[in-house]
Amino acid sequence: MALGTAAILTFPLLYVTYSALTGDLSLIPRLWATRLPELLTNTISLALGVSITTLTLGVSTAWVITRYQFWGRAFWDWSFVLPLAIPSFVLAYIYSYLLDTAGPVEQAWQWLTHSDARIPSPYGFMGALVVMTLNTFPYVYLLARAAFQNFNLSFEEAAQATGATRWETFFRVSLPLIRPALVASMFLVILYVVSDFGAVSLLRFQTFTYAIYQQITGRFDYQSASLLSLLLVAFALIFLFAERWFRTQSRFYQTSGRVRTATPKPCSWTKAIGINLAFLFIFSAAFGLPVLLLIQWTFAAWTSGELESSLGRYIWNSLFLSAIAATAALALGTPLAYLASRIPTRFHLACLQGAYIGYVLPGPVAALALLMVFTNTLPFLYGTILVLILAYVVHYLPAGLQAMESALQQVNPNLEDAARNLGAKRIRTFTQITFPLVRKGFSAAWLLMFLLCMKELPATLLLRPIGFDTLAVRIWLEASEELYQLAAPPALLIVLFTIPAVFLLSKKNWQAD
Amino acid sequence: MIPSFSLPLTFILLCFGMLGVPDLYAGESVVVYSGRAERLIKPVLDHFQQTTGTTVQLLTAGSTELVNRLRAEGAQSPADVFITNEAGALEMARHLHLLQPITLPSVATTIPTQFRAPDNSWIGLSGRIWIVVYNTNMVDPSTIHSLLDLATPSWKGKLAIPNASSEYLQAGASMVLAAKGEKTADAFLQGIRDNAGNEVYGKNRQIVDAVAKGKVAVGLVNHYYIFRHLDTDPQAPVAPLITDQDNDGIGAIMNVAGIGLTAHAKHRSAANELITFLMSLTGQEMFASINKEYPVNPSIQADPVLPPSSSFRASTIPLTRLAELREPIIQTIERLGLR
Repeated sequence: MALGTAAILTFPLLYVTYSALTGDLSLIPRLWATRLPELLTNTISLALGVSITTLTLGVSTAWVITRYQFWGRAFWDWSFVLPLAIPSFVLAYIYSYLLDTAGPVEQAWQWLTHSDARIPSPYGFMGALVVMTLNTFPYVYLLARAAFQNFNLSFEEAAQATGATRWETFFRVSLPLIRPALVASMFLVILYVVSDFGAVSLLRFQTFTYAIYQQITGRFDYQSASLLSLLLVAFALIFLFAERWFRTQSRFYQTSGRVRTATPKPCSWTKAIGINLAFLFIFSAAFGLPVLLLIQWTFAAWTSGELESSLGRYIWNSLFLSAIAATAALALGTPLAYLASRIPTRFHLACLQGAYIGYVLPGPVAALALLMVFTNTLPFLYGTILVLILAYVVHYLPAGLQAMESALQQVNPNLEDAARNLGAKRIRTFTQITFPLVRKGFSAAWLLMFLLCMKELPATLLLRPIGFDTLAVRIWLEASEELYQLAAPPALLIVLFTIPAVFLLSKKNWQAD
Repeated sequence: MIPSFSLPLTFILLCFGMLGVPDLYAGESVVVYSGRAERLIKPVLDHFQQTTGTTVQLLTAGSTELVNRLRAEGAQSPADVFITNEAGALEMARHLHLLQPITLPSVATTIPTQFRAPDNSWIGLSGRIWIVVYNTNMVDPSTIHSLLDLATPSWKGKLAIPNASSEYLQAGASMVLAAKGEKTADAFLQGIRDNAGNEVYGKNRQIVDAVAKGKVAVGLVNHYYIFRHLDTDPQAPVAPLITDQDNDGIGAIMNVAGIGLTAHAKHRSAANELITFLMSLTGQEMFASINKEYPVNPSIQADPVLPPSSSFRASTIPLTRLAELREPIIQTIERLGLR
């Protein structure tokens, strides 16, 4: 069973490997001489840049929220999760509008300074950095907040009692202690940045995934695309193993005594104003301003009668697809996660690791692999949403798998053993004992996958059946034409539909075990 | 909660999903792959659907992306016709054997030869000219005769151009290359690169904007952007200028949006019906005027705000050359370091 699931999930990769290595191999040195150095520098610098900025932003916001009591804290506490509801390409198109030549920001700047000065173009590294940071810092925030909340104060007190200053305590005790959470969130952020397609292509910043998409769509060079993908997968695998290794290395244990967690302490009103202003700025940049713009554009489209009548169908398509895909992914992921945690043979663990590959295989490449295989072997299924769902599952199951794994790890196997000793079969044990216990973790996994599917773009663009557009596709089509007003209604709808999922997710205690 | 139903639910929904195969529609239908913005093509297709009763199924995506999709799908492709905004993609599809000749007799009589494939596997429907936009307060139009004039040092700091990834820049430079040879094309690209300096824009709209504001005196754009700007601001000091009309000149650089019949079209008669409609008087007028373009059928009048097509001479270089020159010109543009 595990093998079957893992086979489905890794099969696009196998196909990609096959097509990369069966073609003309002289392509490798040629790619190395031309595209690779630039792509490598761009991808790595963007990943590093976004890591640094999201860490700074995420940890500092989480720290302030968990340690200080101030007016507005309850609001900020949940509002920093909201940016996750905005797809990266929506944020990108909003920022390309705002920061464009003769755009609102430049005009405001010129008016303020009475000059003709042009602001830096949003296209390229800076734009990508800003957009990706604003879009992904909530991951760091969520994990860091959970870590700070479950943090044992005794360590800090010990440090301060032995004469460490507050800064020293923060950097040498507090931060290292939440390292697992930081590493886990970096992992999420970097994978997100590396596999993002929509934002970097709207902002024209050449990363691996964007170059791969261009090779496929601009030149139909599937072999180059495959080779680039393989490289990307190789990097990601190194990264994946590094993260796993790091997790096993860095466990911190409670030595003795009880855990005392921090209670937020009140702060002066000047500080409170400062905090509120800083938070307002971050929140406006990442969520407030974009959503206001979307509302304004939607309203403009509505009053000018440009609102599409078929929006309802796009909503249904998006919800329907995402729900099935999330459910299917959950069904496929359960045996993988279960077997790997309960019968951790090498084989089962390898199957589990194999499933994670889907996350790093660029969406467009996996999608095209599916397209070619289905048209060649099962043509009657091609053009149905089944292929699209499979693409979603391959790409997003890993995101949910992590939550499923940790939920299963938290169930004490003794309970299952007891049930089995009493004569229950494995399946029955799972449905009656394990499943009720992991329901929450599994719900979170489902929500996460649902959310990601709602925002999915490249695979949907390539594999959607004719006449089956989703909200994300509509946004993309209109935004690439710079028809901001027409792109706004579907964008606003995606945000509205994903907010509940994001909100539920934020309620979960995101502890990186 | 949700997951306890996961397996049965997945199964049911999957069965449901498999019903969503495209061929559910009763009666005649035609499947259109389109790289032209939906707002420019949908009204025309809707009109066709209403008048003929033939259902149109539309898939919109990037032109090159669709070429690749057609290629990957091969004989399984559901597409009957392929509509794009530029001839290059159609010609590319033809080279990849993704199209088949349109055998309608009216093709030869309505579409000038330079605007269709040699074997008629694609035909142009509407034309746009790559044109000079100038600020009427700053420029005497009689001083510009050719696009090549804009590459002379006298326009330094006064010119706005599209960026290197613009298909229009690529197509325009290809035409110069085809008409005047490599040396002239290189000099032209270098000249406009130096003259434009920082005035390089991602969008045609921004170039017209910059000219209207007097930031620069002239720019290179597709003609309809000028009229779009004048639509919203009739007083703006911008005007179009059609160049290269001398006897030895290239002629106005015209590219077309067009339609091709796919090699594996499953609804041949419906596809032919659609193509016939698009070549007809109504079809031509609708298709072109929605974007203020020129109908390719010379006997049909363009939107009256445009300079009439009889008032200028379009380049006679066949558009098929665009596809051949695409790679070389991209390399030249990259080599010369245009932004």
